[in-house]
Amino acid sequence: MNLWNRLMCYCRRRSPWLFHMNSGSCNGCDIELIASLTPRYDAEQLGVRLEGSPRHADILCVTGPVTHNSVQAIKTVYGQVYGPKAVVAIGSCPATTNVFIDSRTLAGPLNKHIPVDVFVPGCPPRPDAIVLGVAKAAEILAQRGAQKPAAAPAAAALLTAAPEAIPGPSATAEPVTVASAPAGVSAPAAREVQP
Amino acid sequence: MNILTMLWRNLLGGSRTLLFPARPKVSKGYRGLVRFDPELCSGCAICKFRCTARAIDFKSGKGTFTWSYDPGQCTFCGRCVEGCKSHALSQDAECPPVYLTIGALKKSYTVARKPAPKAAPAAPLASGSQADPLPGGAQ
Amino acid sequence: MNLTTALARFLIFPGLLFAVPTAWFFLWVERKAVARMQGRIGPPFMQPFYDFVKLLGKDTPPRTGVAGLLMKMWPLIAVSAAAGAVGLLPVLPSSGGFEGDLILLLALLELPSMCIIAAGFSSRSIFGEIGSAREAVLSVAYNVVFLLAIVSIAASQHTFRLEALAQLPASPLRWLGVAAILVCLPAKLHLNPFSLPNAEQEIYSGPMTEYAGPELAMWELSHGLEWVAATGLVATLAAPHVALVWLAVLLFVAFSFFVVLLLSTLAAATARLAIDTTVRFYWQCTLIFAVLAISSALFMRLRS
Repeated sequence: MNLWNRLMCYCRRRSPWLFHMNSGSCNGCDIELIASLTPRYDAEQLGVRLEGSPRHADILCVTGPVTHNSVQAIKTVYGQVYGPKAVVAIGSCPATTNVFIDSRTLAGPLNKHIPVDVFVPGCPPRPDAIVLGVAKAAEILAQRGAQKPAAAPAAAALLTAAPEAIPGPSATAEPVTVASAPAGVSAPAAREVQP
Repeated sequence: MNILTMLWRNLLGGSRTLLFPARPKVSKGYRGLVRFDPELCSGCAICKFRCTARAIDFKSGKGTFTWSYDPGQCTFCGRCVEGCKSHALSQDAECPPVYLTIGALKKSYTVARKPAPKAAPAAPLASGSQADPLPGGAQ
Repeated sequence: MNLTTALARFLIFPGLLFAVPTAWFFLWVERKAVARMQGRIGPPFMQPFYDFVKLLGKDTPPRTGVAGLLMKMWPLIAVSAAAGAVGLLPVLPSSGGFEGDLILLLALLELPSMCIIAAGFSSRSIFGEIGSAREAVLSVAYNVVFLLAIVSIAASQHTFRLEALAQLPASPLRWLGVAAILVCLPAKLHLNPFSLPNAEQEIYSGPMTEYAGPELAMWELSHGLEWVAATGLVATLAAPHVALVWLAVLLFVAFSFFVVLLLSTLAAATARLAIDTTVRFYWQCTLIFAVLAISSALFMRLRS
C-alpha cells in the first residue's frame, strides 16, 4: 500500500536506532560518538537511540580501521542487524585506514567487507559532524526501505551467510574482538568465513 | 539534595542543545581542511614526504606536476603546512563534510612548473675563474 | 456487567483505544522530562509512535521450532495482559471494570515481567539468561512489598472488589500503601535506580537481545501499557472518589501524569544500582513499611 509505505518512510527517518561497533579504533571516534549524545549536541532530538543489541538497531556505526581480529566480528554483527539497515563509517580510519595505511595488522578499509553508506571524515570527527552523518544515513535508510531491499551483491551474500535467528552463544558474541578470534593474534593470512 | 537542585536549575534554565542542523563555530586554531594555493607552490614535494597518512600525492610530469589531497585520508596533523617552504599550504578552521562514496572529497591540481629564475648577471665563469671560490683566498 | 460494557471497557476506555495513545504519551513524557532535567531537548512529541511504526516495518526474524513459537508468543501475551490490566482499573465510578477483582488485576500486572523472564530464557542467548535471572531476582524482591501493600489496603476494606478499593476512606493506611506501591514502581517499570534488567552496556539489552522488528514493537507497547496500568493503579488508589464521570477521568489522568513526572524525576536523579544493593534495599528498607501496613490493616480488622 502506498500510504503505508509513505508512513513507514516518514517514521524510519525519524527513528534511527544505532549500534556502535569498534573495529580496533583508538577510541577517539568512540568518545566523540558518545559526546554526540550529551546535552550540547543531543542526538536524541532526531530520535536517535543507542541500542544494546545489534538486532534492535537500524544503523551500524563502525569506528576503527578494520583489524584482522575484528573482521569476522564485523561481518557477524552486520549480519545480525535486521531489516533495512545502513552503515556509517565514523572517522577516517574505516574509510581509508588513515595513518595506519599499509599496516600488517589491518584488513583494509571497511567497505571491503560490508557495504558502507555514509563516511564521516575527521580524526576524530566533531560530534555535530557525526550527528549530520547519522541524519544522512537515516534519510538513506528511509529511501532504501521504500524500494524493497536491492542490496549490493556482497551484502546479499553476507545476509544469506548470516547465522540463524536462534543461535548459541557464538552469534551474539561480543563485538570486542580478542576473545572471539578463532585464529592467533597476528594472522595476516585470509580467514575462513564461518557459516 | 544537590542533584535535585541541579535538575531544577536545568529545568528552569532551558536546554543548552544546538538545534539540528545548527553547528557550533570551531575555534580559531582548529586544524581543519588543508588549502592549497597553486600560485605559491614550488613543487618540492616536501608535503608528500611529511604527510603521516599519505593523503597528499605528488606526481611529476613534463613541465607540470599534479598535487592531490584526500581529506578522507587526512588526519589533520598539520605537518605538511609546517613543512611547506613556499607557504602554499594552510589549514582552514573548517571540518570536512560528510560524503557517500570513497574518494569523493579528493581534489587534484595540475600546476605548470614555473621556469627557473634567471641567474643574476655575474662575470661569465667560462673565461677562467676570476671570482675567488675560497674565502680567504688560498690559491 | 454485560458483554458490551465489558468490551467497551476493554477496548475503549480505559482499554486499548485510550491506553495505547496514553502509553505512547507517557513514554514520551518520561523521555522528555529526563532530557529536560539533564539540560537537553529530548525527542519530539510523536517519537514513541515513530519508533513503533518503524519497528513494525523491519524484517521479521525467522524463528523455528518450539522455542521459536514461544519467542513469538511472549510479547503477545505481555501486551494482552497489560492491556487487560489497564481495562480492569476501576476508573469510572459505576460498576468497576470487568467482572474481575484485585487478584485478577495483580496477576495481570505480574504477567509482563513473567513474560520478560520467560522470553530471556527461551531466546537461548547468554545475555538473555543473565538478564532474565536479574529480572527474576528483582521481581521477587519488589513483589513482596508490592503485594503486601495492596493486600493490606484490601484487607482493611474487608473485600477484594476493585470498586471498593477506588472508594477508600482517607486513612494513614491508604497513604502508607500508596507510598509502598510508589517505591516498587521504578523496579516494575525498569527505571533508574532499579533498571537492572535493561542494563544496556553491560548485558546487551538482556532478555530482549534476540528480539527484533514487530516483536520488539510489541515489547515496547507492553512496556508502555505497563506504565499506564501501574500509574493508573496508584492514581485510582490515591485520587478522591467523585461521582461525575468526566471529573473522575480527569482526576485519573492528572494523578497518573503526576506519578509519571515523579518517576521521571527519580530516574533522572539516580544511577543504576547493582543487584545486591537493589535486593538489600527492598528486603531491608522497604519491607518494614509493608509489614507495618499489613499489621495495621489486620489490627483494624480485629478491632472492627
